[in-house]
Formats: sequence, C-alpha cells, structure tokens
Amino acid sequence: MGALEILWKIISWPPLWQLIVLGLIVPLLVVIYILWFERKTAARVQRRIGPLHVSPKIAGGLQLLADLIRYSFQEIIIPKTVDKAAFISAPLIALILSILPVVGVPFTDKPEWFPIPMDYSLLVVLALVTLSPIFLIVAGWASNNKFSIIGGMREAFMITAYELIIIVSVASAGVAVGSYNIVDIVHAQTGWKLLGLLNPIAFFTAFVGVLLATSGFPFEIPESEHEVVAGAFTEYSGLMYGINMGAAYLKRMVYSIVLSVAFLGGWLPYTPGEGFVSGYLIPSIVIMVKATILMMIFSFLRAVYGRYRLDQALDLAWKIMFPLAAIGFGLSLAEAYLGIF
Amino acid sequence: MPPQPVHKRVHPRGVFSRFKGNIEAITIGVKFFFNPERSTLIYPKEYIKLKDGYRGFIVLIKDKCINCGSCARICPAAAMKLIRLPFTDPKTGRTRMKLWPVINYNRCIFCGYCVDVCPTEALYHVPYHDVVWDTMEEAETDLEKFQKPPEWKTEKEGIPVRYVFDEKKGLVKVRVEGEE
Repeated sequence: MGALEILWKIISWPPLWQLIVLGLIVPLLVVIYILWFERKTAARVQRRIGPLHVSPKIAGGLQLLADLIRYSFQEIIIPKTVDKAAFISAPLIALILSILPVVGVPFTDKPEWFPIPMDYSLLVVLALVTLSPIFLIVAGWASNNKFSIIGGMREAFMITAYELIIIVSVASAGVAVGSYNIVDIVHAQTGWKLLGLLNPIAFFTAFVGVLLATSGFPFEIPESEHEVVAGAFTEYSGLMYGINMGAAYLKRMVYSIVLSVAFLGGWLPYTPGEGFVSGYLIPSIVIMVKATILMMIFSFLRAVYGRYRLDQALDLAWKIMFPLAAIGFGLSLAEAYLGIF
Repeated sequence: MPPQPVHKRVHPRGVFSRFKGNIEAITIGVKFFFNPERSTLIYPKEYIKLKDGYRGFIVLIKDKCINCGSCARICPAAAMKLIRLPFTDPKTGRTRMKLWPVINYNRCIFCGYCVDVCPTEALYHVPYHDVVWDTMEEAETDLEKFQKPPEWKTEKEGIPVRYVFDEKKGLVKVRVEGEE
C-alpha cells in the first residue's frame, strides 16, 4: 500500500472527514464568509459601503482575516476575581459542544460513510445542540460581574423559551415521517415533497427560534451592547472573546444544517451513488450549500429588524411562537395520519 | 387651569397588522439589497465641492492691506497676529516699519470675523479646509505664505461631488462638472 493510498484512507475515514472537514473547517470558512456577508448586507440596506479599505479589489473580503489576526495577538486578561477554571474552560467547552452535533447528521444515505449509525439521529442532534448554552451561563457566572450575570440570566430565559420551540418544530418533521432517523426523513422528501413546503408552520417557527436562540445580530438580547456591556462575555478579551462570538455563529451553522436536512430535503436533488466522491462528497456539498443559503437569509434579517427587548422576545415566544409550533406539530400529526409520506 | 397630564393609551396591534409590518420591512430590505443607493463619500477619491462663501483658509492681498490691525484685534481665538516688517513706499522711496497680519492655523477657528471686518477687503476665504500639515510649525504662516492659498492635494486626486436632495431617493451624490 503506497503512502498516497494510506493518506487517502486517513482523509476519507468517515469520522475524521465528518468531524474535521465538515464539522470544523467548512463551518469556520462559512462563518468567516457569513460575517463578511452580514456586514456588507447591512451596509447595502442602510445605504453604506461596509468594509472596503482592507482590500478594495475584493470588496473588503480580507477584513475578517485582519480582525482575526488582531484578536489573536491581543492580550488575554484574566481578572483576579473570577473563578479561573470555569472562566477559561467554559467558552472552549461551549465551542466544542456547538460543533459536536454534526457528528449525528448523516450527510449521505450510504451507511458505510456514517460516523455513528443510529436510528434516532435527529433526537441525538437536538439533544447535543441544547448543551452548549449552559456553558455560556457558566461563563457569565464565573466572571463574577454584574453585567455577566445579567447576560447569563437573559441567555437562560431565551434558551428555555426558544430551544423548546426549535425542538418541538424540528421534532414534528420526524413525527410527520414516522421516524427519527434523518436518512428516513430525507428519503421521505423525495420528489419535492419537502417538509418545509408541506409543513411551513413548523419550518417558520424553527427558523425564528434559531434566529433568537443563537442570539444573532437582530436579536442579540443576551449580549446587547447598550444595556449590559457584552452580556456573559464582559470580562473576556482577545481570542477568548472571539471564541465566544464565533461559537454563536457555529451554533447557528449547525442549526442551519439541521434545518436543511429536516425541512429542505438534505442532499435531495442529487441521489448519492457509489464511492467517495459520488456517495459522500457531493451530497455533503449540497447540504452545506443549502445551510449557507439559510445562514445568508439569517444574516440578511439583521439589517431589517431592530432589537427586541427581553420581555418582548419572551412575549413573542410564549404567546405566538409556541402555540404556532404546537399547531405545526399538529399539522405533522395530521399529515402522518393521512399518510402523505 | 394648569395643563393636565394626558394618559396616552397605546392600542395593541393585531396579528394581521404585525404580519403586514414585517412583510413591508423585509420588502424594503430586499429592495435595497438588490438596488443599493449608497450615499457614502469615499473621501480621498471623492470630495464635496463647497460653494463660494464657505469659510475655509484665509488669504491676504498685500496690496490692499492698510495695516489697520482690525483683523488681529477682532480675532476671538488670537490666531491672527501682527508682525513688524520694513516696508518701502514706492512713491517716496522711504523705508518704514509697518504691522502686517499673519495667521496661525493651530489656533484659527475659521469664524471669518477678520474677513468681515477688513475695511479694504484685503482678506478672502478659499472654499476648502482639508489640508494636512506634518508639523505644528507648518500650520503657522509668515507674510509670504499668507499671500498664497495652501496647496490643495484633494483637488488633484479626487472627483468633486455634491449632495442633492431627491424627492424619492433622499440624498443623492452628483458629480460636479467644471465651474458654475
């Protein structure tokens, strides 16, 4: 066996490929692109130009790289009053946990390319997704600062409200199909029977839930600059702050992958064939493209909406979104009863 | 009777009007996303062409100056000073010491009082103010420097533009063609 073959085997080994390439490298690249896209979109809608002077020929595309370099050379200050172990470990664990759910998403229907073949992959993914916000609260608590604690408590309020909505609406996809295996859910959507079209209520509530649960820019209630300095991340500086900010976007990317698999048909216009390229590479690219388009829509909404107050956001969650999610669940039950899939 | 405070009641909006408002906001966003009407001035490449009468840098016409010193007396920031220099009268040929105004742009607030107060209109404004000096000494003028307008590099490198108010689009950037 030649060296090239061994290298190819290591690269195309499913767990490694899925965790390192699809789980880490591609989401990071997409997040860097999305951050640039978000700033440019907000600038376009608000009649500005946005980042330009770093690299005028590619419309300021290197701005994020410049920011990243600046963050990584900044001093990381650890205040005396913080709980050191929790302060340092909480954002790192949150980052790892926000990427981890990718391990449960099958990017193709050929079982030999699954990292962990399982029958309840959708539920496992949803369970893993809900882990990381706990560590944001830990980070806020460990900072020993009033702004951090307020930010952490806001985060807690938002999670309880919106992750419930996301779980109910995404689980309704499994209810409609009659299986929590993502491969079955995607197979049921063949022939443009997309769950996003057949159950638009659940898709809409999941969409809004992702937007608010990841505290993205239109709804950055936990770390709103005007009220609490940076929420749970007030005491963080340098690369630690960058990790905290990036974790939210990575989490949103993972949510987008879940949404594109559960509601937009995953790899569907394409049917996976045999071999690595046809069986694994192209389906994963299709899913990533769908997730990126979802991310772009999320970023576009930043430019349109103003920020909600905490009470308004919770009002929206419990009075409008949760009943809507329940209706979507009922719609899925009705579709399952009628046997559409 | 003193005015009474009025208790205002905000009517809660219905679901339909909320939905309509969201759709309208997103429509406007999409419109601007595909057809952006940017009004940012990309400064060194473009600059705003200012109108005559703008209070920019001040230039002295030495022949008109009657050495009255009003400009230095009225200057609120004490930027204008008088310096004593010999002056040869062309008619009589006699050399006398006279007081000439010079300006220090570290102190000047561009109020234009000196131009207004000058009895012979020996001072005038140029319609620009964007000149960078490397040191503070360069911002101080002597009599020779005060008679020439400062070098305006922006004009050589940039495009003159002007903002015009449009009924539909709001502020619109228009290129200025030549002198008016």
